[in-house]
Amino acid sequence: MQFNSNDSGSSLQSEINITPLVDVVLVLLIIFMVVVPLLMEGYDVDIPRASADKSAQVAESQLILSIGSATCPILTPPAGEGIPKNCQVTLADQKIPVAELPTRVATILGGRPPEQRALFLAVDDHLNYEAVLRIIDLAKSGVEDLKIEFVAAN
Amino acid sequence: MQAAINITPLVDVVLVLLIIFMVMAPQMRKGPDVNLPNTTKPNSQGDERGRILVSIDDSGGLWINDQAVAAEHFDEALRAAVGAEPNPKIVIRGDAKLNFREVREVMVAIEQAGFRGVGLIAKRTGAEGK
Repeated sequence: MQFNSNDSGSSLQSEINITPLVDVVLVLLIIFMVVVPLLMEGYDVDIPRASADKSAQVAESQLILSIGSATCPILTPPAGEGIPKNCQVTLADQKIPVAELPTRVATILGGRPPEQRALFLAVDDHLNYEAVLRIIDLAKSGVEDLKIEFVAAN
Repeated sequence: MQAAINITPLVDVVLVLLIIFMVMAPQMRKGPDVNLPNTTKPNSQGDERGRILVSIDDSGGLWINDQAVAAEHFDEALRAAVGAEPNPKIVIRGDAKLNFREVREVMVAIEQAGFRGVGLIAKRTGAEGK
């Protein structure tokens, strides 16, 4: 018996049928295109309780990060990525350059159980909002499951 | 002879139109023009449907779910937006140009309306978006 490619009807179809594949891929593409713009990213924070007694909030074990506009003068959105080097913050009453923040936070909070890892932020009103979020981002990069709570700045 | 109409080109065109409209629709939304702050590793805040979106534009104007709201009516508007939702999740979309004071005042207003905890929405550096 000879192979004959012109023999219609009994010849094998050697190409893969890609139509169902294309169907599935198109539907997946549509699903992702619709969902992705609706997803948000950000930081969970606790709100300063204006009604609560402020002195009651400050306990011995609380780690307070103060960001003042005198030592960290970022009043307009910082250009590019990261935080300008001239920014100094006060962590547990010690003045440190902002670049050291992740390691300091990790040293202090890394030994605590995750549910007790909380950072209390006292932020100057004049600071730029984007700079504040970048400092939160930096602090959170030092230790996992870090809770952020705002307290009133002095 | 093949009597059936070949619908493949029709399906192609319809699918492309569908994709175009689905991509355009989220950008057609009214609401404020908020330039979100850029950070390196924001956490996921989930889908924006099912969240109460509080936006603060670069001039300090307040918006709840894309409706402009006067500062003095913020409380009632927020409670109305939450409705009977037992466990509302409120997020703040603040413009990168704002001072911290304007965001803090909104957080305090949210707290005074009786809600605890918000998400501060940022944009991952390098990611395109609104």
